[in-house]
Amino acid sequence: MRRSTFASLALAGAVLASQGPAARLSYGVRVLLRNGADTNVVGTGEVAGPMETGLRLGVHTDSTDVDMLLNTFPEPDSFTLSGDFVATRLAGASRRGLPVYEQDEYRRHRRLAWTDTVRLHPFGTPRARARRELWVELRVTTAAPGGITRPSERVDLRDSTFDLTLEAVVRPRRATVLLALVRGDANSVPLQFDLVPDGIPRTLDLAVDPARPHHFELRLTPPEPARTARERALALDADVVCLRLSEPALTSVSMLCGRLNNVARRLALPGGDTLVATFVWPAAR
Amino acid sequence: MTDHERWARDIEADLDGELTLAEQAALARHLAVCPTCAGTRASHLELRASLARASGHPRAKVMPRQVLRGRTLALLALLAALAGAGGGWLAHARWGGPGSGGLEASRATIDIR
Repeated sequence: MRRSTFASLALAGAVLASQGPAARLSYGVRVLLRNGADTNVVGTGEVAGPMETGLRLGVHTDSTDVDMLLNTFPEPDSFTLSGDFVATRLAGASRRGLPVYEQDEYRRHRRLAWTDTVRLHPFGTPRARARRELWVELRVTTAAPGGITRPSERVDLRDSTFDLTLEAVVRPRRATVLLALVRGDANSVPLQFDLVPDGIPRTLDLAVDPARPHHFELRLTPPEPARTARERALALDADVVCLRLSEPALTSVSMLCGRLNNVARRLALPGGDTLVATFVWPAAR
Repeated sequence: MTDHERWARDIEADLDGELTLAEQAALARHLAVCPTCAGTRASHLELRASLARASGHPRAKVMPRQVLRGRTLALLALLAALAGAGGGWLAHARWGGPGSGGLEASRATIDIR
């Protein structure tokens, strides 16, 4: 083996070892608003997760909604930031006085160094003498995972005239599902399942009243593919799982879908009981 | 052409409003001394009155053709331009417009700080 080839392989190996598949990617977000000479922080937030984590960022005002899905493509010394944007703007009013909106979809990408801070103007580059300007400061960093595998999201909104959403977009390979049955003030013992999408169906018995138990067959499935261009651009189906519940005795099939965000979702069952399901990222193995 | 025939033509032109002030004065002086021409004028007027009555306009009278003067035309053009500008301003205020920037100017940009 020639010396130059060996050196290249060694360098590539060292880079891969230093970043490695276990590195954790973090998006630090700060939204700022300049009004005349004053600049205020509208909101801050952070999304972190495995290296393949994307950031779904939304900035909403009274007249404009800008949603974007940002992804990073790491290279040894830099990375490419790619963004799919969906903007909905108030374009005017119809003859009957109803608001008319226009929707715009486009893509942007830029190659950056790991130390760069990105300034993102969601409503376009402001004019030279504009008094009001809103922008998003974004900093992408990597760090050792430290045993944390599940994505995390944090948003702190300080100006209520804007709406800021930050979501980690990671396709779940497993999901923890917490299930309980509720009727009035009484509820069953909560059960926890660690499920894999499109995995083997599991059976489950839940009962609030022991005289009327429910026998379920449950299975985790991926959601329906995105239908609209907006859903596709923002990959709204990427971080969602669906729980397919069937009761063989009643031949009823129900579906509950949601993100793995620790929010309880309710499903009314025949007979008056309510099933409460919560999707959570599984703990580290 | 006799004198009476010439004055008859002038009478008809006068009734059509086509005579100058000097010609109208000359005709008036002649009608004062010529009963034949005065009778001709009276018969012309009666003929026109009967024609107007027959067409359903008993009070009709001959009017000289309106001439659109240059200043009137300019005033009308100015009023039309003002009405158009006002309508455009109201429509823009009501329904908005394409704005000063193009579509690309309203799209997000990624800059390095």
